Amino acid sequence: MTPNAASTGSPRTEQSRRGFLATGAVAAVAVAGGAPLLTACGGGGDTGKKDGTTSGKDAARILPAFVASEVVPADVPARNGSAAGFTRAIPAAELKTSVTEKLGKGGALTVMAPFWGTPPAPGNPYYKAMDEAIGVQVTWQNQDGNVYDQKLGAVLASSDIPDLVVVPGWNLGGKIPSAVDAKFEDLGPYLSGDKVKAYPNLAAIPTDAWQRGIFGGKLRGLPMPASYVTNIAPFYRKDLFDAKGWQLPKSADEFLALAKEITSAKAKVWACADMTWTAWNMFGVLNGSDKALGWNLVDGKLVNRIETPEYLEALEWTRKLFDAGVVHPDEKAQNQGDSAVRFTSGQCLMYNNDLSHWYGKTAEMAAQNPRFAMAAMDIPGHAGGSPQLWATNPANIWSFVRKGAPKAVVEDALAIANFTAAPYGTKERMLTDYGVEGVHHTVKDGLPVKTDAGNQEVSSSWMFVASPAPYLAHPDMPEITKAQVAWQQRMGALTRKSSFYGLTIAEPGRWTGLMNDFEQLEKDIVRGRKKLSDMQQAVSEWKSKGGDQLRDWYKKLLDTTGSAAS
Amino acid sequence: MNRHDTTDRRPRTLGRRLRRDRVLLLMTLPALVLVLVFNYVPILGNVVAFQDYDPYVSTNGVTAVLESPWVGLAQFDRVLSDPSFWAAVENTLVFFVLQLLLFFPVPIALALLVHSLLRPRIRAFVQAVLYLPHFFSWVIVITVFQQIFGGAGVIAQTLREHGHEGFDLMTDPGVFKFLVTAEGIWKDAGWGVIVFLAALAAVDQSLYEAAAMDGADRWRRMWHVTLPALRPVIALLLVLRVGDALTVGFEQLLLQRDAVGPGAAEVLDTFVWWTGLRSQDFSYAAAAGLIKGIVGLALVLTANKVAHLMGEQGVYRK
Repeated sequence: MTPNAASTGSPRTEQSRRGFLATGAVAAVAVAGGAPLLTACGGGGDTGKKDGTTSGKDAARILPAFVASEVVPADVPARNGSAAGFTRAIPAAELKTSVTEKLGKGGALTVMAPFWGTPPAPGNPYYKAMDEAIGVQVTWQNQDGNVYDQKLGAVLASSDIPDLVVVPGWNLGGKIPSAVDAKFEDLGPYLSGDKVKAYPNLAAIPTDAWQRGIFGGKLRGLPMPASYVTNIAPFYRKDLFDAKGWQLPKSADEFLALAKEITSAKAKVWACADMTWTAWNMFGVLNGSDKALGWNLVDGKLVNRIETPEYLEALEWTRKLFDAGVVHPDEKAQNQGDSAVRFTSGQCLMYNNDLSHWYGKTAEMAAQNPRFAMAAMDIPGHAGGSPQLWATNPANIWSFVRKGAPKAVVEDALAIANFTAAPYGTKERMLTDYGVEGVHHTVKDGLPVKTDAGNQEVSSSWMFVASPAPYLAHPDMPEITKAQVAWQQRMGALTRKSSFYGLTIAEPGRWTGLMNDFEQLEKDIVRGRKKLSDMQQAVSEWKSKGGDQLRDWYKKLLDTTGSAAS
Repeated sequence: MNRHDTTDRRPRTLGRRLRRDRVLLLMTLPALVLVLVFNYVPILGNVVAFQDYDPYVSTNGVTAVLESPWVGLAQFDRVLSDPSFWAAVENTLVFFVLQLLLFFPVPIALALLVHSLLRPRIRAFVQAVLYLPHFFSWVIVITVFQQIFGGAGVIAQTLREHGHEGFDLMTDPGVFKFLVTAEGIWKDAGWGVIVFLAALAAVDQSLYEAAAMDGADRWRRMWHVTLPALRPVIALLLVLRVGDALTVGFEQLLLQRDAVGPGAAEVLDTFVWWTGLRSQDFSYAAAAGLIKGIVGLALVLTANKVAHLMGEQGVYRK
């Protein structure tokens, strides 16, 4: 697992990404823009609400103050919504201290978090070093990230909820948003306004990330800030493209033509994986990672992504890829593991996934195949030129403290969050990302290199508790860091924010299941099992079963809150 | 099955019988506890089928049952008017019929084959080979099939290397039902042999000798001695299988649901799982599960009745 990768999103696997795209009901809204207090939906006030939003003065009262902190100036400063890039390793002697006094009171906490891969053994030296530095005793409950939604649903229905629970946005399906309101503590009394200043690293978390943490009218979630630029990058095998002289495609047609040229089934080489996510971006389809992001105001009327012609065009194009036989056959089966494995082994030369794969897969392959090189191509516009991209949310993973936790437990939890949210260039960040020098990493030519113990034990779980403002730092591969940030900046320049950008919205319970079947239908269509007309049918059913009412509900919300869109 | 117990001639009071069978009863106790905890107690959970259940309204999921609103049969209305439920029922029945026709006879044939092997060593070897796939998990079985019959599998690649078109058996919704049956046979047919072998071992050898004396050849001996000996076991397993008709392999189908789409792979169990656990519509899923349970009970009673009419013991007799 790459220590810094998560600053642009979680180290998701495909399957969790599937869940990510499928679900996204979220629970309450805050708008920074000082819009009027919403009264139309739900009660407001101190009682919390079942659905709707919190905005304007209400949100301003809840949100923590922002106190910027920059320990080391970024080598590539953030621009166009990108992360900040750090290309230089900071020598141990120059590391700053951002947590001056140990905030933990030595309490014992249980933390449940998703984990992709094999979690490290409990009580290992890395966990102990973190516990010691923070002043807590954490018992980790690492659960398989791919089926985390099922585990989460069961745990929240029990009377034994861990002290801290990490919840990714793509797991907020079904009744989970209502569970977030019912089962997790209001952190406002500890963090709102100037109170956050007791936790300097939390105070440095950008306000738009905090806004996403307002659930049911209360500040409940400790956010993991993320760049709002799309995290889905279309990767290609740069080594093989260069060797064959293949040019990167500039349109949907060029992509298909190139894919046909690349594919040689006889040699067990296929051009690409399932490119549906990239198709959304190429065709300018509204974001599907969150239900509210899928709505946008067009000429005074809210339109959902599934109603747009672009949505159908993107599906049709992806279907052409499957029809042309340029997609690896195992992608059609979908139960044969990760696309990334077929990509690194050279069976499939293009795939799309989280931007963090750029570093992660390159680092993984460095020892196995020295010639291996990959890169993210700029997302082509479907008709040539630049695509219209839509912003994702500025935070989509939170940790929550269980409701009714004693003050001491909440404060210990915040001590963990303040520690793991330390910025680049601090001792706390170094320990979180690289463990203890001599045990988990050694310094070679001024660069920290993880040892075997480091690779096994240093895990991303801590960062899910809370993280600093989005950043990318891979001092061992500065070129990739620069390229990642540059890609985000180029794509960021093409990115617009839809009407409900940055808002955490809880839809009324009776409509939360309306979109459940769409992702499956998308898959069936691109794989040729269903027709585009089936989708048109499903959309008209969606409208009559509540989609149109939901449109009115969202419109009312927009009229009362105003939009953050630009 | 325990008929000989009832032929005990001593006077029978409950206490006396308990005392007599105490060791046996003690031995069944762990199994009884397991059945109670994992089969009977969860039945109580079915009450949520009559509610609009939200597990998060209370401090825990159990007390949430007390606080969730009652909605009568509304969930059943929803289930019965849902086309995807009926699609799942249809798939379930198709899978069941295919498994009954193609899968059920295979263990009998294999048992006869193994039984006819005389050398103990060869017999043990064949049995081991037949049993082994049963211990593979479905993930492995499906991966093995994918590697052989998939679009990038051994057969497709060999064909391509020799200038032919490749094919992909694993993602073709049309052949999926046969694929599932084939996977099932490969994995579990060998395991199913055990019961029949036990029944065959119980056949009195003198019957064969007598039949041979009367001039019956191998086929006639099988027809007149072996198969009649197997009949009660076949009838019993058939009744059980019919009662289980609506359960056609949850894990196997769930793992391949994405490969062919729910249109071809959704059965009642995956439907319940999908709506209940993934969409968290627990009441809806419970209602669908309850319908399945009731139909299953009706099927088992009917099949048992048919077995009685055919003069067999069936699962139980009043």
